[in-house]
Amino acid sequence: MSATLADIFSFLALLMRYPEESFFDDEFLDTLEDLLKSIDLQPYQQRIAYWRSKVADQLLDAQVEYTRLFINGAPHVIAPPYGSVYLEGEQSLQGKSTETTRDFYRQYGFDIVNKAEPADHISLELEFLSCLYRQEEITAAEKFLHTFFLPWFEPFYQQLMPELRHPLYEVSMQLISFFVQEDQ
Amino acid sequence: MAINLTRRNFLKTASIAAAGIPLSKVVARAETGIAKAPLIPPGSFKDTKTVTGGICEMCFWRCQLVGKVRGDRLVKLEGNPKSIDNGQNLCARGNSGIKLVYDPDRLKYPMKNIGKRGAPKWQKISWDEALNICADKLQATIDKYGPKGIAVWYHGASAHYPNAYFDYLGVPNKYEPAFYQCRGQTAMAMMQTLGFVPNEDVDMPNSKAMLLVGCHIGENIHLSHVKNFLKGLENGSKVVVVDPRFSAAAAKAHIWVQIKPGTDTAFLLGLMNYMFDKEIYNKTFAKKYCLGLKRLKKHVAEWTVEKTAAECDIPAKQIVEVAELLAKNAPNVSIHPGRHAAWYGNDFQRVRANACLTAILGAMDCPGGIVRIKRMSSGHVHWPEVDHEEDPEEMALAEVVEKYPFRPPGTPPELMRDTMISGKPYPIKSLVVWGTNSIKTMPRQERTEKALANMDFILVTDVTPTDITMWADILLPEASYLERYGHVEKGTQWNQGDKPQQFLSARMPLIDPMFERKDPVWIINELAKRMGHGKDIPVRNQEEYVNHLLKETGLTIAKLRKLDGIYIQPGESPYLKKGEEPKFDTDSGKIELYSEAMEDEDFPPLPTYTKTAEPPKGFARMIYGRSPVHTFNRTANNAWLAREIPENPLWINDESAKKMGLKDGDRVFLENQDGKKSVSSTVVKTTPGIRKDCVFIAHGFGTFNPAMTVGFHKGIDDNSLNTKINREGETGISGMRINFVRVIKDGKVIDIPA
Repeated sequence: MSATLADIFSFLALLMRYPEESFFDDEFLDTLEDLLKSIDLQPYQQRIAYWRSKVADQLLDAQVEYTRLFINGAPHVIAPPYGSVYLEGEQSLQGKSTETTRDFYRQYGFDIVNKAEPADHISLELEFLSCLYRQEEITAAEKFLHTFFLPWFEPFYQQLMPELRHPLYEVSMQLISFFVQEDQ
Repeated sequence: MAINLTRRNFLKTASIAAAGIPLSKVVARAETGIAKAPLIPPGSFKDTKTVTGGICEMCFWRCQLVGKVRGDRLVKLEGNPKSIDNGQNLCARGNSGIKLVYDPDRLKYPMKNIGKRGAPKWQKISWDEALNICADKLQATIDKYGPKGIAVWYHGASAHYPNAYFDYLGVPNKYEPAFYQCRGQTAMAMMQTLGFVPNEDVDMPNSKAMLLVGCHIGENIHLSHVKNFLKGLENGSKVVVVDPRFSAAAAKAHIWVQIKPGTDTAFLLGLMNYMFDKEIYNKTFAKKYCLGLKRLKKHVAEWTVEKTAAECDIPAKQIVEVAELLAKNAPNVSIHPGRHAAWYGNDFQRVRANACLTAILGAMDCPGGIVRIKRMSSGHVHWPEVDHEEDPEEMALAEVVEKYPFRPPGTPPELMRDTMISGKPYPIKSLVVWGTNSIKTMPRQERTEKALANMDFILVTDVTPTDITMWADILLPEASYLERYGHVEKGTQWNQGDKPQQFLSARMPLIDPMFERKDPVWIINELAKRMGHGKDIPVRNQEEYVNHLLKETGLTIAKLRKLDGIYIQPGESPYLKKGEEPKFDTDSGKIELYSEAMEDEDFPPLPTYTKTAEPPKGFARMIYGRSPVHTFNRTANNAWLAREIPENPLWINDESAKKMGLKDGDRVFLENQDGKKSVSSTVVKTTPGIRKDCVFIAHGFGTFNPAMTVGFHKGIDDNSLNTKINREGETGISGMRINFVRVIKDGKVIDIPA
């Protein structure tokens, strides 16, 4: 089962990555819809299907929205997707928490590939979780979720919420939430 | 807990597994962001390294610094202990460089505007795509209009190499705010009078008296300069500050001349007349080295103490007191040449008056005077000389319209902007902006926006979003001054009275650039290759660029690194030796109190005062200045600095404020004489330390671009209220302190009483 979890977190990581031609295509979006259906989130699946039927260039559309939400938007970047921005109260990248995040990766024998990106990008953290699940490091994955990921995921989601108009990102956030949150 | 959560995920994943969704196939196609690496046990020792070779660029004084780096993270900046200039000190801005580097709002990737200019919608694109677009668009402009169809607005060290490339392309019109909104007249009028540009090389520590006309050292913090000023005070120098406002410098003054704004030239002429009249000027020096002494005496004769006092609205005895003080201590007096001079549109003449006063006191090349500091020299990087169909020098707009003969390097910006709007005398259709926020620097913003709207293509390169980045078609992210090689800094020990030493330092990165930020040499070389100029590229990368600049010194990056970033050698005193004659590189070889060159161009050959317009009833003149922890708008988004000084309080005379019903802390907007209202508001500061005919705010606040989340709409943008400008004939530089404002509180307009 952890192999499936590993795949799921890899997929979530891709949803939080800047959409590129190499992976963001019909098969990717079909998979997203299937995933939503399989966990009884049909209303979200229908929103994605509707968006796909209305927007011709889905890649460009997703890129522009991703840029607005997470990179440099106008009126302003909505929610920088880096842990340190939310954990350290100083709205800064590459903080102490970024360092401890990367240290955690390395303790489990992993590291970021592109050293130019901070280690606490949401996509990298999700991918790291996937790596842990793949190695059946379930306890470590839970520890990472609770001590690193969830403490900033909540305020990040709150900051993003009022601007989550785009079906792809609204659904992506719901989906991540579904897999990382405690059951109510 | 772990077992429960595992069970939770088990339940959720069971159905997915059962559904047979091809997740693994989909995820396998993307490159991984996390990979296997050697295991590093927890608690491994992680050292903090000191990395040398940094040169600050939070402002333009360029202090030498070191970085404390932990892993790949820059955690602290400090002055380089080896520095003989700033020493171990850095100012608030220097310390806050870290917040610039790690500002989440910073530009990270090349972006394409697929929305409108001014209301952008950004798509992150690859460098390849971005540079291809830039090359195609710039080439299309050149093909259709020639290189003169491109304009370049630039600022800072990172623009030097790009600038050299645009010279090679034959682009004739370039504008730098350092000259046209700041030091232009100071440099050119000094050059015209003395035959050299003293910059701010004035030997304050060893002076017996100092005269600061409008300089507010202490609010304008350039570290070694402030050290010089304070050392002068410590050594007992008497300070005269001429300012309508009780500035930080005025607070240290022995004599504060609370002058009426715009009358500084009259004050300087009055001082000279008194010195001539009482024969207390430096006769030996003036007779020997100055041209036109008699004519100057005659010219200033009308400026009696009484007339000067009336014009400047100051006590007559202050003029006498200042003149006596300066004359008594000449030549060891610091007549500060000033820095920002674009005040009223008659500023060339004021700086000339300042130079003439310095000359008749002989206050140069000696302890306390303006000094010609002897620095090491370094080289330049040029692209090969190529023949252009049209000579770029002849095609420069000021040459075509035959105006502004005493202009500083480059094209007067408003002249360029007029051309971008009208297409006359020729069309300008592409704009390159490199490291400057021209929305904040150029007065009359609506004209700037009109010019921008008229372009076929706009390329902007910067480290952070600014107001003008909203107008870019392609926006490129540059490595900051802490992440790249670049500028070579040369100087001496900060106090000219100390043992002479010279230093040289070159900017070296303290950390690698993050994301896809690139250095200017890489950007320009990649652009040049795409425009078919690959074979002419003079240096392959930024390291080669710096080594080329260093060539004549025998130093290299590697050698400098071994020397902890700074090379030091014995220097030479800037004071004249006994029997040594001063040299003046003017047409006549003398100091030109009377300038024939100016007469030939139909400008007053002797420094001449012209009145500036008075505020209309109900308005006060808006004067602006610096905030000690900010560099104009460049630092508006710096979280640490914004926390110290988030906005620019409106200084207003306390008695006026009382009559207006204003008190400290009230929030107000401003409205100018043309009905232009400030977009954002600021807080009131009532004080007896400002005259009633003017109000003051620091420049650089009231950011328009919401992408600067810290600085957005904090305080008032003074420049948005500069709807009136007075372009000076000598230089083409526009004076900006000719705008008048009144106050709006709770939606109600309140006149400022006279």
